[in-house]
Amino acid sequence: MFEVIQPGLETSIQDYPGRIGYWNQGFPPSGPMDSWSFRLANLLVGNEPGAAGLECQYLGPTLKFQRDTVIAVTGADMQPKLDGQPVPLWESIPVKAGQTLALGPAKVGTRTYIAIAGGIDTPPWLGSRSTFHKAGVGGMEGHALKPKQVVPVASGKGTAGRKVKPDARPQFATDKRWTVEVVRGPNDDWVDNAGHDRFLSTDWKLSAKSDRTGFRLEGPQWSFTEKATKKAPEHGSEPSNIIDQGYPLGAINLAGQTPIILVNDGPSMGGFICPYTVPSAAFWKLGQSRPGDLYRFKSISVDEAQELRKKLKALCTSSSII
Amino acid sequence: MIYERPKFLAGGDRYMLIEFGNEMNLELNFMAQGLASAIEQNKAKGVIETAPCFASMLVHYDPDEIAFRDLEKEMMELIGSLGPSDDIELDSRLFYFPTCYLDPWTKKAVDDYCDKITKKEWDPAFVARLNGLSDVQQFVRVHSGTEYWVASLGFWPGLPFMMALDPRCFLTAPKYNPPRTWTPQGTVGMGGASTAIYPVATPGGYQIFARIPVPIWDTEKRFPEFSASICLFKPGDRVKFVPVSAEEFEATEAKVKEGTYVYDVVEYQRFSVRNYKKWVQSLDRTKRF
Repeated sequence: MFEVIQPGLETSIQDYPGRIGYWNQGFPPSGPMDSWSFRLANLLVGNEPGAAGLECQYLGPTLKFQRDTVIAVTGADMQPKLDGQPVPLWESIPVKAGQTLALGPAKVGTRTYIAIAGGIDTPPWLGSRSTFHKAGVGGMEGHALKPKQVVPVASGKGTAGRKVKPDARPQFATDKRWTVEVVRGPNDDWVDNAGHDRFLSTDWKLSAKSDRTGFRLEGPQWSFTEKATKKAPEHGSEPSNIIDQGYPLGAINLAGQTPIILVNDGPSMGGFICPYTVPSAAFWKLGQSRPGDLYRFKSISVDEAQELRKKLKALCTSSSII
Repeated sequence: MIYERPKFLAGGDRYMLIEFGNEMNLELNFMAQGLASAIEQNKAKGVIETAPCFASMLVHYDPDEIAFRDLEKEMMELIGSLGPSDDIELDSRLFYFPTCYLDPWTKKAVDDYCDKITKKEWDPAFVARLNGLSDVQQFVRVHSGTEYWVASLGFWPGLPFMMALDPRCFLTAPKYNPPRTWTPQGTVGMGGASTAIYPVATPGGYQIFARIPVPIWDTEKRFPEFSASICLFKPGDRVKFVPVSAEEFEATEAKVKEGTYVYDVVEYQRFSVRNYKKWVQSLDRTKRF
């Protein structure tokens, strides 16, 4: 168990892969946005890679541990300190009962993950402990951590001093520029060639109006094929309107002229076209970027996206821990 | 049109969107729902979950278990095994909702959008004009003149995507550009030819013009309708909007708050696709209410 002294900006309980199997009722998976760092944190403390841990955004929490345990901090550098002493990232650390872990603002990257041996043990909701803030379900009482909450942790035995191999860690952009892979489709034939060229040759700025439901992008206007401009009225008259359809997670959803990347807490369906989809292996880049950062999109095939996924999965195993 | 061969579209590394056609009719929704059931019954290899909608179905699959092309083949086989939709008969609940059309709350959301984002015509007036109706009163008559078919749930937990069953009440509308940042809970809106109810206050893209005081999802399960699921609806349900005044709306809202509200729902009917199609053919579709 640990007590929340200061909650940070929006620290939430997440597990991986999250709440799967309810997309047809409108429940998103939630889960950590950078599941690469998240899974490594769990592996460091001897947990299953998907066990429930904490996702910290922008500004981390201060937590007081109530029993001896082993923890690991990965992801963005929030300069964690244990009783005032700096502790390393990407490494399992012993913690004594009564010690306080304090995280500050993120220096490089945006989201930090804290895993605790045994894993957080809040009651699962629809099969997952992940917090879905907007609907107030999962996690601790459905929301981000609040001061004075005591968070239950299952018993587990971690080993201190384990490290993630340096080449198994994600490398975060330090110049605010990210190359993000995308796969064409499902609705790519609604956008004309000029529109595709513009999409792939623009530095898209991540808007401040972004959260765990969607990442809004700022950039040039889109142009369309006849499929978008000459269609049955039930699609809706705007070029980006389509008969409501299921959305892939990671879809670049074109709402009017505003592209929105649908991320972990995003909508499952809607009536806007999705010309591109960010594959699962590139999600960590979204999770580690922040408003004002620039995305350059790189088009890859389905096969290449699946290959990246395989590589990432192989990195999120104990073979990355020394 | 209904495509001769469905389209299999990629959505990144782990999704396939199967498009059956590019119009809204019940036939396409039956294909989507039918395929979803067939996948579940056959425990189709590598399929994690599906999300059927009006004219398409999204498949979430595990690429470690099945390749895109093999999944396409599997899906074609299952689609080929679906029987004719005319034979479909299913239990269909009918929910009656007290509905405050042209209500002050959605009006406020539209005004707020006009102030903060971009000017637009008041949604019901806009939809009435686009569909050649004489005024907002006729719009209310037409919109509330039909039962709605719950084709799927999505966008937000429990949100029903519905289509008008009476073709004389068929209306279309564009979606917001850009979308609204908030919509009151219980708002009724439409986009394309779809009508939806917003379960909670969320952003949204539909034209909005009415509100219901009755919850359609409930994490606390305060009403017996939520004993099986926190979402009120399931595909194949029907909805009828019954116009009421703002006073009646507030009276019902108070009952909901007290926990004394009783859902107005009939549960003894079966929906026959063959009978429905026969009825549709007997109508003069050019007439409006």
